Amino acid sequence: MYLPFQALSLSVLLALPATVRAVFQDEVGHIDYHHELLGVPQRETTFFHRPRTEEKASLLYTLSDLGVLGAINPSNGAVVWRQLLTGNVTDGGGFLRAAEHSTWLAGAYGSSVSAWDALTGRSVWALDFNGETKDLEVMEITEGGRKDVLTLHQESGVTVTRRIHGTEGHVVWEHRDVNKDVPLQVSTSSEKVFVVALHGSLLSYSLNVIVLDTLTGKKLDEIPLGTKNEVQKPEDVMFVGANSASPIVAWTNTGNTKLNVNVLGLKTKQEFPLAADTVEVEIHAPHTIQSSPHFLVHSRTKSGNRADVFHIDLKSNAITKAYELPLLEGGSAFSTSSSGSNVYFTRVTDEEVIVTSSTSHGILGRWPLKAGAEKLGALHGVSEVIKKSGDSYAARTVVVRDSDDWTQIVSGEIGWTRLEGLSGAVAATWAEIPESEDLARTLEAEADSNPWSAYVHRVNRHINDLQYLPAYLQSIPTRFLSSIIGSESTETTDEVKRDSFGFNKLIVLATKRGKLYGLNAGNHGKIVWSKNANETPSGKHWDVKAIHADNANGLVTVRASEGQFIIVKSDTGKTVEAMPTGLFPPVDGAVVVDSNAGPWLLPIERDGKLADVQIGWEPKQTVVTRTSENQIEGFRFLEKGTVASAVSVWSFLPSAGQNIVDIATRPQHDPIASIGRVLGDRTVKYKYLNPNTIVVAAINKATSVLSTYLLDTVSGQVLASSSYEGVDPNKDISCTISENWFLCTFYGQYQLRESEAQNLKGYQVVISDLYESELSNDRGPLGDAANFSSLDPVDFPTGPALPSVISKTFILSGPITSLAVTQTRQGITVRHVLAYMPWSHSIIGIPRMLLEPRRPVGRDPQAAEQEEGLVRYAPAIELDPRMTVTHARDVLGVRDIIAAPAILESTSLVFAYGVDVYGSRTHPSAAFDILGKGFSKVTLLGTVAALLVGVLGLGPMVRKKQINMRWQAPM
Amino acid sequence: MLPSIPTIPLALTLQALSLLLSPAAAATTVTFSIPPSPQIPNPAALPPSTHATLTTLGASYAAPLTVDNTFVFRNVTSGSYLADVNCATHGFAPLRVDVIPVAAAAGADRNSNGEEEDDMSLRVWETFRGNDWENKGEEIRPVTAGRVFPVKVLGSKVYYTERGGFSVLSILKNPMILMGLVSLALFVGMPKLVENMDPETRAEFEEQSKKNPMNSLMGGPQPGSNPMGNFDMAGFLAGQGSGSKEESSETGSKNGGKKGGKK
Repeated sequence: MYLPFQALSLSVLLALPATVRAVFQDEVGHIDYHHELLGVPQRETTFFHRPRTEEKASLLYTLSDLGVLGAINPSNGAVVWRQLLTGNVTDGGGFLRAAEHSTWLAGAYGSSVSAWDALTGRSVWALDFNGETKDLEVMEITEGGRKDVLTLHQESGVTVTRRIHGTEGHVVWEHRDVNKDVPLQVSTSSEKVFVVALHGSLLSYSLNVIVLDTLTGKKLDEIPLGTKNEVQKPEDVMFVGANSASPIVAWTNTGNTKLNVNVLGLKTKQEFPLAADTVEVEIHAPHTIQSSPHFLVHSRTKSGNRADVFHIDLKSNAITKAYELPLLEGGSAFSTSSSGSNVYFTRVTDEEVIVTSSTSHGILGRWPLKAGAEKLGALHGVSEVIKKSGDSYAARTVVVRDSDDWTQIVSGEIGWTRLEGLSGAVAATWAEIPESEDLARTLEAEADSNPWSAYVHRVNRHINDLQYLPAYLQSIPTRFLSSIIGSESTETTDEVKRDSFGFNKLIVLATKRGKLYGLNAGNHGKIVWSKNANETPSGKHWDVKAIHADNANGLVTVRASEGQFIIVKSDTGKTVEAMPTGLFPPVDGAVVVDSNAGPWLLPIERDGKLADVQIGWEPKQTVVTRTSENQIEGFRFLEKGTVASAVSVWSFLPSAGQNIVDIATRPQHDPIASIGRVLGDRTVKYKYLNPNTIVVAAINKATSVLSTYLLDTVSGQVLASSSYEGVDPNKDISCTISENWFLCTFYGQYQLRESEAQNLKGYQVVISDLYESELSNDRGPLGDAANFSSLDPVDFPTGPALPSVISKTFILSGPITSLAVTQTRQGITVRHVLAYMPWSHSIIGIPRMLLEPRRPVGRDPQAAEQEEGLVRYAPAIELDPRMTVTHARDVLGVRDIIAAPAILESTSLVFAYGVDVYGSRTHPSAAFDILGKGFSKVTLLGTVAALLVGVLGLGPMVRKKQINMRWQAPM
Repeated sequence: MLPSIPTIPLALTLQALSLLLSPAAAATTVTFSIPPSPQIPNPAALPPSTHATLTTLGASYAAPLTVDNTFVFRNVTSGSYLADVNCATHGFAPLRVDVIPVAAAAGADRNSNGEEEDDMSLRVWETFRGNDWENKGEEIRPVTAGRVFPVKVLGSKVYYTERGGFSVLSILKNPMILMGLVSLALFVGMPKLVENMDPETRAEFEEQSKKNPMNSLMGGPQPGSNPMGNFDMAGFLAGQGSGSKEESSETGSKNGGKKGGKK
């Protein structure tokens, strides 16, 4: 490890990125694709809001189930701005409110409360409190004429209600109530603040309403509400009417036969019968204070949906049922919209959109859906109803569909659709398009059969192929033309088929909501198929542990933690086999193993246990599992009668006090083009190429010492280890291994041992190269042996062949996570380390040349080293924006990056998923085998034509001149 | 083996150091601002994804850009922090932020603006990545209003490389093309120039061109012969280079013969 600290010469830093080739502007959108996503919008945190009162246009805001707060332009569905509310991807919940005629939005999640500018997406203020936020409301009427924010927090044993200044973000007052109640919600009317809490114990709660003074936060009253054991858990209370003139609290009894409604501030409740077979009840009410105090009760029965509209009399606080919307089969989504005191209810069914006013049951607008073949399946939505001239109305509704898409319907027409279902991806894999496998199989069959029948078969096949000839001939002129003009016509087809460059591949993506998607990487990541793949109850996420594409059969297997798995066809998504939850033991993961019966996905049960497998299916390799938090074990399968069972052959425990934080394994496709590196002096350093190696990173949280171990997975031996002091265990530590090198990245703060009083701080990356010997032209103890065994010690004084390790540490200008390495077909192209930069929301490709441990330290490279391309070591690596694969795009919340080789050696396909979905092609050594967009065929033809004209024009001139010269008399 | 197995005493001192720096009860607010500068004339136009981070061993804080073009970190405990500003459009210099309890910061200039976080003193310097942490740059003074420290913008970020597109000008800039054009001009213009000369200067010119070694090179092996006759630039230009050598010598001898015949 070397980190000398001379003052850096800027020229060195600037020289480094010279090797970097950034993305060309004209390739943007051509080689890459990006689904800019928010996550699936939640019912309570989605609304239309006018970001500037003086402007009429409103934006659509949502806090999604991933914790992304975003603003959408309702006219085209494009993202205006996005923010991760807490800086991290979250798991549902959270609060978002907008104040009418204000420029800000207030959001809360966990312990933090923040306000954001509605138009620009900038932070207005942010506060962090102890305890979890339980509710957030906007106080529409205050003494100062501004709007304030009310929050409800649950600390241990204390319910805290706070009023926060809307624009300045300081706490105006705070009310602490020491009790064991479960705070539910906070609400406000024009003169009082109501805090609703659950009092009592689990399964027999009663409601307790605390009334606070708006000005001082002093407790005015406390109203207990008996619920007769009808409220058993916090979710049983549906509470709405937050800022309506007369806020209410509502809950149903256990059998969903009665609805209890209490107008806040009163001690009595009113009961209303519900329709038979009601499964679920939702209440929709306007949120603005000037709206009429009307609300809609949406009852979902097993087969359909109905709704009842209620009015509250402001004087007597009596609730009366006004009218009802009839039961309709199929799904319906209701939404509220208000303008002035008018309240409109919009109902979206699979067939039509109906708008009614809250005052009467007369239908104001009715539009049949022109949806086409696809069923809408609206779950919930938001709407904006505008009264046009006379009696005509226009409705704009945005609904979340059961396909997780977000679709806008304008008066019956489907507007835009945002594919929010792609967000929250937990696993993805590349899959080949199963197409030319048929041809390969035919060729194989021909090779196997006897020559004559093979010949006949072949002739038949060729004759059969003749039928495609006319179509091919017809396509020639258009192809010729498009190739000259430069428009690649093949890119726009929706057909999923392989191409000669290998760019067309499928990506099978699994999301935590239990959906599976097939995307076509060659067609800008378009969805080829999608399906609901997981039948676990809602609320529980699909915890995918392994995904594997079997390209020989065109199948993709997805295994999840509860033992369930699904096998689908990669090109159509058709289920081949599916296993529901609970039939198989829960799994920790799954690995692809080779067996006599072919490669398959071996499940690893809880705590790294391996079940017995049938003879013939036993893995040939050593299977390495994590048997406990800090133990890794290697297993081999031995035959025991009719089954093969796993026998532990080695186990590895890091030093005492260390916790394993990351394990890096080699990519499945890791071809090595050359076994050595030719140095500048024409000697060769041989790479240590052991395919059975993994890197384990373990940290001691008490001493902040990180240790990395390079393990031989066959013998369990530690081939190399190193320790780094002052590593932050709370920040991301990740490693990756490829070819003959591995790297780890972490946040370090320590003093150098090489020279005194040199401290450093920052995100770092350590790269280690493995060679067979420290010397060049030396193959170490193994020599030229064709085979080696990890288990047999080499007959050499030093024992087993240990690699020679060269390491260097670099300081990065920011953290990098989700490490991956580019993959190319032959491995000739240099490798790039792909990583996500969470600070700048982009994916970077760091050239391996930059992270070169052999860079000379403290001196300029000699001529021989320069020839190798080594530049002087500089401790800092600026993550240059030109190195980013995603260039100027804002790619949010990447969880993992996967790379795949194309047929072209120069190209590696990159795909990243998480919140967003991003895919691109990278050329680590520049595009040496494909003509890029810079190659203009028109220019080439033009140049040739110009030269031809020049030659034809100059030729006669020259001839004439020469003849003249010969005939001219000398002077 | 890597040469970096930790020495235990150092690890222990480090631990002690981290314990020393570990969160005390007191916390303060750190605020940075992006002032308008030549690189960023309008900080309000920066993207909302712009944010700043404070990191040190065991702690990290993040703050988004506010509407006032500031970054506000609340509840920052004492310690020495690395501050970075991340922006999609511009690069910013990293900073070192020391949050020191006033009792510990003997002699450190005390902020006397009477805020409630008066028990902490803040000092901010520029820092250099990959250099010693104690190697501080210029100390950054808070702008007049309270403890708001300005951040320094380095420049705008460049994500794309320019593609060397086709342009006539770039072709004309090529020295080979320039040479060709000059020769073409000579080839076309020279005879006319020579014709337009008055006889005396013409004779002088011819005399000179005979002496000129360039002409002898161009005109072939016979320096005595008429240089104009052997000036085979046209052939050279028309790409008859390979054959012209023999031809020129041939024509040269023929010319010589002709000349002799004339005389």
